[in-house]
Order: sequence, then structure tokens, then C-alpha cells
Amino acid sequence: MNTYICRYCRQPSDPNSPTCPLCGAPVDIRSSVSDSGWVEQPPIKDMARLQFGQSHIQIAGTTVPVAEFNLAPSDWIYFSHHVLLWTDTQTQLTSMPMRGGWNRRLAGMPLIMVEGRGPGHLALSDNHAGEVVALPLQHNQQIWVREHRFLAATGNIRYDWHPTGIWYTTGSGDDQETHYPMGQYGDVFGATGGPGLLLLHSPGNTFIRDLQPNQTMLIQPSALLYRDVSVRLSLHLEYPRNMGLAYWHSRWSYRSIWARLYGPGRVAVQSIYAPPEDTEMITSHSYATTHHW
Amino acid sequence: MTLACYLPSVEMIQCQWCHAQNQPGTASCQTCGAPLNERDKVSDSGWREAPRLRDMTEFRFSGSTCQVEGELVPVAEIALHPQDGVYFEHHVLLWKDESVPLSSLNTGGGMKRTIGGMPHIVTVANGPGRIAFSRDAPGELVVLPLHPGMELDVREHAFLVASHSIQYSFIRIKGLVNLLHGGNGMYVDRFVTAGYPGMLLLHGNGNVLERTLQPGEKILVEPGGFLYKDSTVQMQAAQMQLKTGMMRHGMYLAEMTGPGRVGIQSMYVHHHAD
Repeated sequence: MNTYICRYCRQPSDPNSPTCPLCGAPVDIRSSVSDSGWVEQPPIKDMARLQFGQSHIQIAGTTVPVAEFNLAPSDWIYFSHHVLLWTDTQTQLTSMPMRGGWNRRLAGMPLIMVEGRGPGHLALSDNHAGEVVALPLQHNQQIWVREHRFLAATGNIRYDWHPTGIWYTTGSGDDQETHYPMGQYGDVFGATGGPGLLLLHSPGNTFIRDLQPNQTMLIQPSALLYRDVSVRLSLHLEYPRNMGLAYWHSRWSYRSIWARLYGPGRVAVQSIYAPPEDTEMITSHSYATTHHW
Repeated sequence: MTLACYLPSVEMIQCQWCHAQNQPGTASCQTCGAPLNERDKVSDSGWREAPRLRDMTEFRFSGSTCQVEGELVPVAEIALHPQDGVYFEHHVLLWKDESVPLSSLNTGGGMKRTIGGMPHIVTVANGPGRIAFSRDAPGELVVLPLHPGMELDVREHAFLVASHSIQYSFIRIKGLVNLLHGGNGMYVDRFVTAGYPGMLLLHGNGNVLERTLQPGEKILVEPGGFLYKDSTVQMQAAQMQLKTGMMRHGMYLAEMTGPGRVGIQSMYVHHHAD
């Protein structure tokens, strides 16, 4: 059988199928690339099927897509309970505790995942207009994902989580507040014992780009969807030139808080994001580069 | 020889969504607006996508016409015939001709409905004139033509507009477990057609899917995802033996038992029943 490398999931795929069987990206469309090199991730076609193990997933809808799993007896997946839309009565649902419960609770992350085991059907959906992004992972391949973007993973994908290391504080004394513009923790997923499939929900549209070694770029911290673990991150603070405004005013009201990404590796952004609040002066922060215009 | 032998054979097109018959060459169903020249989208497990109505699609009910505008947050614009009327919750009214008279209709239930966060008065608009409605979230307009003798239950605040021939009532959700953990509030709206057909428009958040359950067939649905059902479908809160947090035991889903149709929406606020 002829194979080709899918330009979106980077895995060997079947050119005779209308959509990539691993990630659902249409095979027969021209790549949409912006002048600056961002490749638009095409939405998975309505009713397209993705294959994993002996099971498959069907994506239904285009505004808030539903991922409908048809689980074979030998296959299982895990997900957070709040994305479960429906299940049939024969699918086995059990709890899967996560390590570091207290810290996860403080960070607003789910403490317990739900395992869904075949045979049976179940469907998952998130609560934002956007896209389902499928990331097939090869054995030992890892990917970093921003918190709360995870939809589901096949049973052989290991789920770990680490502090993002991107933070700053405002105020002092009892009023001091720590901000995590990218979230306090990031999820790291890795396939073990064979290939696996990771599903994310991306609010808005999704764009991907490859950074060359030592190439850097600035993005809104909450717009980062996923990155190769080879891509490094730090905080970047940018202050505009003082154009007659009071000095202290320009110190916070018009500043920009960025995530600086360092290549090499692949990064993906989502087009819906929440900009950091700019209400008070930054009193301390994680390692950051700074620029005053 | 009968007269039928002399008539040209005209093969009517049946709408897959509302089952109405349409003249050949029609691009969209004259009764519900569903595209007729697109393949029906049904998932492997039997969920049918509600038809995505094309921008500016028109369909008729009674003597009036409804035109659907926009695709992200669709607007239903109705040209009311002088003999027709529609009713709705007042906050979904987007615009209207000055000449269209409005009146209010008490649904009963008074204070109990208010406590339940539901309107106890709906607004009625009568023709002739134009009037338009929309809700405030990305989603789909679900067009449900009701034949005489049908009963449909709709989750609270999903109803957009109904024709005046449809009777509007509500049923209080019974049972403390259903009330506390069902995730559907205190009431479910019930729409009934007696002697005449009617037109019911809902707004579903995200995408809308429908499935027909056979007698005794069961499906478990996230309560926030429930949008509508035939009144023949029984809905009960069912506790799953799942731990979902440090101190939380048991997650509740809505167990739907057939026969009848169940409609769900893919975007919802997850209920904190656990």
C-alpha cells in the first residue's frame, strides 16, 4: 500500500482515504499557509472516522464537534467526567485517580479521570465553539498540552503534568496575587508500548508552525494549544514607549505579557484566548526577558 | 381506466428530518427548511445530525413564512400572515415591525415558575408583519413541525418560538433525586398539538443530534446535553458508581428510556450534580 506523511499529524497515512485515518485531516485539500508560515489545521470533516486499535472514533458536527467512540472489547480510553455527553449502558465506566490530588485541586484540574472500556459506545464534547484536534503519538513520543484542552486519550498514553514555570505577581503584603497566564500546570502526554491517540478540543481555529533551532517567537500565553517537548518557554514582558502618559500608567496599563517560545519543534495555537489582566504593576516574576520601547 | 393513469407520475421527495413530501427540484424542505440535496448525516450509533439550515432558507407554516439568516447564531425571521400568531419568551425578540401587536399570555404556575427561573408569562405576536428571534450562543436552529396529537418535552430556555396552534404547558420534574441531580432545573416545557399542526423552533447550543429509541431501549445522557424528547420517552436521573473528586461519589446522568425521539446539544454547562 502506498503511504504518505500527513502534513498535519506527521504520521504515515493512507493517500487513498478521503481523510487521514489517524487524525481526520482531509487528504484532498490544498494546505492553507499564512505569509508568516502558520499552517491552518483543517477541521475534521463531519462524520469522518479515525482509527485506533480495533476501535474507531467518528466526529459529528462542526460548531462544537462531538467525538463518538465505538470501543472494541480490548480497547479503553480515559477522559474527564465533565466532557461525557452520552454513553450506552454496556460501556464500562470506572474511576482513574490522578497523583498529586491536592495540588491538582488547587490548580483547578480534574482529580480523577474516568476510564471507558469497550465493548460499547460513548461520546465526548467540550463547551466551546471550536475544533477537535487528533494527535496520534508514536511509541515514546511526548507532547505538551495546555491545561483544560485535553479531551480524551487511548489507554496506552501516559498522562503526566508539570508546573509551567510561567508566572508573575502583582500587589504586595496581603494583597499579593500570583498570576499564571498559561495556567499553573501543563499536561504532558506520552505513548508507551505502541502508538496511541490523543484528542484535544481547541476553541476557535487551530494553527500550527515549526520553529527552527533557536528560532523564537512571542504568543499570547493562553493561546498556546500544544508544543513538542523540545520547544522551550519563558515569560517576556514588553512595555510601550512613554508617549506623554504618566510613567506609572505605562508600567501596567499598556504592557504586554507574552510567552516566548524557543525552537526547535512544532507549536500549535488556538484563535480564542483570554489575554492576561493588566491592572497592577508586576512585583516579581519567573525568568523573563524584558523590552522597553 | 382510472384517472390516475392519465396523470404524469411525479416522484415526491421525502424530507429525512420531518418526513414531509416535497415537489421534485426543491432544494430545501418547504416544511422545515432542511436541505434536500445533501446526504443525511447519521453516526454509526444512530445519532442523526439536525440539518444545518442554509443561510436565507425559507419554509412555511400555516399562512406564514420563516426565513433563517446566519449560521453561527441563526436568526429566525417570520413574516406573519394576518390570521397567524406566534409566542416566545420576550428576551429572544431581536426586532419587529412597529405594526406587529404584542400581548402577554399567562402560562400559569406564577411564583413557582419564577422561583424556578422560568417565565410565567410568554409574549404573543400577531400578524400581519415581520418579527425576528435569536438566542445568544453559537448553535443551531432546530425546526420541529408538530403533527396533530404530538407532545414534545423541551429543556428550559431552549424554546425559541412556537406557532399559536401549539399549546404550551410545563411539567414539574418529579422526585427529589431528579430535581437535585437531574441537571434540568425544576421544569420541562411541554408543547402539545391538539387538532391542528404547528411549528416549534428551538435553539440548540453547539451541534444538535437526534436519536430514536425503540421501546425499552435506554441511553445515558449528560443532563446538560438534553434538549428535547417525545413525551413517551421516560427520563430519570441515574447515579453512576464513579468517584469524580476527593469527596465526591457518584455522577448523575439522565437515563432515557424509549420509545421516542431524544435530541441533544453538544455545548452545555456541565451540571454540578456531583
